[in-house]
Amino acid sequence: MLDILFYIFAAITLISGLMMVLSPNAVTGAICMIVCFINTAALFVLLEAFFLAILQILVYAGAVMVIFIFIIMLLDADEDSHSYLRDKMSVAGTIVGFALLVVLIFSAFVSSGALPETALQAVAENPSGEGQGIPFTTSAKSFGYSLFTKYMLPFQVTGFLLLASMIGVIVVSKRQEEAK
Amino acid sequence: MNELLAEFLRGYTATNEWSAIMPEIMLALLALGLLVSEMFLPKAQHHLIPRIAIWGQVLIGVYAFSCIGGCLTSSGSFFSGMILQTDVSQMMRPFFLLSSILVCYLGRIYLSQQSLAKTEFYHLVLIISAAMMLLVQSSNFVMLFVALETVTVAFYVLVGYCRTSPFSLEGGLKYLILGSLSSAILLFGIVLLYGVAGNPQLPGASPDSLNFQSLQAFIALNQFTGGNLLVNVGAILVVAGICFKIGAVPFQIWVPDVYQGAPTPVTAFLAVASKAAGFIVLLVLVQGPFLALNELLVPVLSFIAAATILFGNIAAVTQRNLKRLMGLSGIAHAGYLLIGVVAVMRGVEWAVYAVIFYLVTYLLASFAVFGVMAITAKADDANQQLDDYANYSRKQPFLSGVLTLGLGSLAGIPPLGGFIAKLFLFVAAYQAGLYGLIAIAILGVVISIYYYFGWIRECYFGVPTSEIVEDTCGQSTVADRTLLGALVAGTVLVGVLPAVLPIIP
Repeated sequence: MLDILFYIFAAITLISGLMMVLSPNAVTGAICMIVCFINTAALFVLLEAFFLAILQILVYAGAVMVIFIFIIMLLDADEDSHSYLRDKMSVAGTIVGFALLVVLIFSAFVSSGALPETALQAVAENPSGEGQGIPFTTSAKSFGYSLFTKYMLPFQVTGFLLLASMIGVIVVSKRQEEAK
Repeated sequence: MNELLAEFLRGYTATNEWSAIMPEIMLALLALGLLVSEMFLPKAQHHLIPRIAIWGQVLIGVYAFSCIGGCLTSSGSFFSGMILQTDVSQMMRPFFLLSSILVCYLGRIYLSQQSLAKTEFYHLVLIISAAMMLLVQSSNFVMLFVALETVTVAFYVLVGYCRTSPFSLEGGLKYLILGSLSSAILLFGIVLLYGVAGNPQLPGASPDSLNFQSLQAFIALNQFTGGNLLVNVGAILVVAGICFKIGAVPFQIWVPDVYQGAPTPVTAFLAVASKAAGFIVLLVLVQGPFLALNELLVPVLSFIAAATILFGNIAAVTQRNLKRLMGLSGIAHAGYLLIGVVAVMRGVEWAVYAVIFYLVTYLLASFAVFGVMAITAKADDANQQLDDYANYSRKQPFLSGVLTLGLGSLAGIPPLGGFIAKLFLFVAAYQAGLYGLIAIAILGVVISIYYYFGWIRECYFGVPTSEIVEDTCGQSTVADRTLLGALVAGTVLVGVLPAVLPIIP
């Protein structure tokens, strides 16, 4: 059952990814990208990485895509400026992308350092006391434990980082009332 | 939650000693308080906000200064290894506070000429100051990166703060793009180190491999057994990221444009505090995690220092825009300071304090010069040419005197603080056997005298090229004069009696 689901989601991910690159309309491309992201989240769920799946939906399919569509709307991208492999940069990018794909496939399946069958540990529910560090698990709970114990100070400072960037957006974009 | 887990987590929260970072917390609260007071104060009372910012920081400064003496026995590791307080980090707290107080003061002068948002400026300056204090204390790469990003993101905003000026926006955009690039380089280096030091198949691998101490142990062990390529690449990338922040040579490309575009107080803040934070972080890194990599890093940093000194000084010679001139000469000062860092790596321990001493004199002299520039600046802040200062001494005898002493100290003229600071650095370099670097530095100092004194000559003997327009700007108040006078007096006092600064042991 899981295998069939995996193949379905993987196929949709690949097809929508390809359509995103090939579609002449920028908005269609963006929607294909959302489909791709949601299916990647589904793949994470199949791997029992629920927290990553939630983050994928919230951050990528939600926030990032809103920005993308916003920018497409602002820039008013036209459909005509579409041509494959005309300039050197896109040729170079394509070559590098396929080279990376070949390396990944080779190292994952062919070479001697191929992925071991069962070396990945089962996901632990709670951090255990062994060793000095909080072991990395994919459950949301362990992220919470780490953030509010060991990484308390960086977590608080991150709040100020976000505040500073929010203030910055307001300063740069707010319409200023005229000088009195 | 079971008992075992609670006990385990308590081990991490045991060292969460909030009182150890009291100055930072107070600064952050003050920053928030400014925003709140803007909301609730009536409009007529808004002129109080800069005063609250400045006097609040003075109070915090008094508190932080008393921490140096040791009334607070807070030195050691806190927050489960996130921060490590040393006497260096305690010394840097008043340093950052002093610079942010001066920036707030100059910002008040600057903002009175522009119709821009006011409270947010002070808010961001305070946040940057608090984050810099945490940055120099951090002993874990997570803490280091978060604090560094807080500083950098707030600086992106401050550089582009004057959104009516195309120069400021251009500078802000350039700083945003190049700063993000450097953060990416730094992060890539950190991730490489994290990955390789967490590999259980290598000796000394640690589950907490972002911590400076465990990283130091790991690197030392691996250098002993022949070195590791990934460690070297990661360390080089981290150092490159830091070199970007201090404006050392292969990464100096952003400096002139950003310094020119940014509002003058922000330029001063970038030149002094941002550079100081970068150097302290570099010192922490080369004395901590990268201690075993000296063989690799000493030649790299020596080469960077030599190139930085030569580039900064030679490029500044033909510069007529004063903010670009200060930027390029700031690059040269970064080069001198790098010599101190290399001396520390060659085993001269007290060179750390020579670097801090240099930073203090640089602060005093730079803020004197930038203060005069902020007072003299017209509404078009980015366009301050050397010709504007033609015959300046006739119009403003006091300010041009301040300018002369500040520039003299930056150039390193004997009775002033800058001379003593350079002397300490060169003595440290001599003890470390860096003869070639000393020769290059002295050559650089000679070149720098040319352009610093060109400015002074323009003040006293320059012939105005155009009709003098009767300008209303550039009048200094009594408070301005007192502050600038105090800065200059500090410069002279440090030069005559270096012992007044209890930095060099």
